Amino acid sequence: MSFLPRLARPLCSSAARPFSSSAARALATPVAQKPVLNKEFKIYRWNPDEPAKKPTLQSYTIDLNQTGPMILDALIKIKNEVDPTLTFRRSCREGICGSCAMNIDGQNTLACLCRIDRTPKDTKIYPLPHMYVVKDLVPDLTLFYKQYKSIKPYLQNPNPPEDGKEFLQSPEDRKKLDGMYECILCACCSTSCPSYWWNQDEYLGPATLMQAYRWIADSRDTHTAERKEVLQNEMSLYRCHTIFNCSRTCPKGLNPAQAIAKIKMELAAD
Amino acid sequence: MMSTRALGLGSPLRKTLFSPSLARNPSLIRTTFAKRAVQTESLPPSAAVDILNKQRLLRPSSPHFTIYQPQITWIASIANRVTGGALSALLYGFSLAYLFAPGTFDSVHVVEFVGTLPDTVKYAGKALLAAPFAFHGLNGIRHLSWDMGKFMSMKSVYLTGYAVLGGTAISTVALPFL
Amino acid sequence: MASSLLASSSKRALVRRGPSFAKSLLASRPATTQSSDALYVPGGPVYKGTVNDPTSFPEPSRAHGSHHWSFERLLSASLIPLTGAAFATSPSVHPVLDGILGVSLIVHSHIGFDSMLVDYLHPRKFPVLGRIATWTLRTATVGVLVGVYNFNTNDIGLTELISKVWHA
Repeated sequence: MSFLPRLARPLCSSAARPFSSSAARALATPVAQKPVLNKEFKIYRWNPDEPAKKPTLQSYTIDLNQTGPMILDALIKIKNEVDPTLTFRRSCREGICGSCAMNIDGQNTLACLCRIDRTPKDTKIYPLPHMYVVKDLVPDLTLFYKQYKSIKPYLQNPNPPEDGKEFLQSPEDRKKLDGMYECILCACCSTSCPSYWWNQDEYLGPATLMQAYRWIADSRDTHTAERKEVLQNEMSLYRCHTIFNCSRTCPKGLNPAQAIAKIKMELAAD
Repeated sequence: MMSTRALGLGSPLRKTLFSPSLARNPSLIRTTFAKRAVQTESLPPSAAVDILNKQRLLRPSSPHFTIYQPQITWIASIANRVTGGALSALLYGFSLAYLFAPGTFDSVHVVEFVGTLPDTVKYAGKALLAAPFAFHGLNGIRHLSWDMGKFMSMKSVYLTGYAVLGGTAISTVALPFL
Repeated sequence: MASSLLASSSKRALVRRGPSFAKSLLASRPATTQSSDALYVPGGPVYKGTVNDPTSFPEPSRAHGSHHWSFERLLSASLIPLTGAAFATSPSVHPVLDGILGVSLIVHSHIGFDSMLVDYLHPRKFPVLGRIATWTLRTATVGVLVGVYNFNTNDIGLTELISKVWHA
């Protein structure tokens, strides 16, 4: 499975879900109880109140027929019914907030968009790789946000439009931002990148670099030269070795590797 | 009653009302429960960073390549580095050996030594050199096309990845018989 | 990969020694100071500045940026026809081609090794080991250049050697 592209994978994709379970509940006549389908989840645990204790994998077994279809449903069920101390971030449960990013069965993705594998094999859940852990599945994203801030992710243009309304852009120029503005900054891509693992304090990582290009490519921004100039060093951009883990893992189907390749081409052409 | 319940005071108030009059004396309550289990300490706002940093220093780093799913993306990338590094190490090793001992590592001696080896070892050795050479060369072309902005979609990444693996397999078998 | 394990253990070691010393430093500062630079360890859990400060960029330098990148890509791309040409023609007839191939391979190798050192043994994380490794690599590359020059001038040259070994 692992050597197939993401496109071919049934799991961890936002395909239509079956609503059979809710339909059965709505019937007036009693329906035969669904059989128990137990599944083991092994979840990374570390408690800051007992910092000397090494992180461990804790095992939880739940009945999938009493659980929603997604990994986030399983996590919430475990927290509600088995172990209230299990800690993770979640908010929108529909793949737009980016809170529930974690490593599920070896891939970084959003728990809310990742289907539970209904085979008897256990599912392992870790926090995003090579990040400092605040508690259980909650990583410290301070550096990630500080790096995002460093690329000035806002429009810089000292000349306001003459009509005093808004900056105009041709449909073609607007089209250049497609595939980049959709990023929700969940950090799945950056924490899947080996270069980011080894040098995360100096290398910006795919998520931040794609947003850097989102502003370089914006026809309304006048600070393009400055935006490019800051990347002219050994570490910030050029630690990218086109590994493609970022694009492979992006839960929104974006392509950060391509955006970084475009920055490199534009810098080389300067 | 509704308003006290809304404020979360319902039951304590009731307890106080129905308890003996002794307990209703506020000064008596204070002296009885003066030693509370929780101690508070007032800190300046600047202490926040200090506390946070103390906490940060205890945090473990989450596991990475040991738990990450093997995918052709990063496996091919590390293989590219390993094969390139191995071939370069061979070049460096031989050149430095020739620099320091030109009498032992000249072409005549090297070719003579290889000639004495049995055929199986010769072919195995050639395959062992052909595999990293073919992989690094073919994957290098893949990398160069990415740097020109070609084959950047995930589908192309996988297609070219398998093409490189196939090409490497064929070359590893074919090159030793050249 | 082993380097990453080394990195985390050395970081920890530094950090273990750090807190009490760094704390006393922090405590003596005026209340307005929000910086935690005293505890900063490269790649470590304590970052420069507050959570609201952006990270900083190194001095821009095209030699380390786009020029380095473009040079490496041009070199790699030219290695493909060079390798093909060197094996298609007789090396004794084209000693210049053999020489260009040798130098290109060495520079390509050097950049590759250097890239590994920057990735795994960066001097900011390994102040001693990183610098030793960088200078060892530079010395070795100079030695290899001389060695290949000697081999190509006094002996049969790299291409011919590979060809002869292959058919030995």
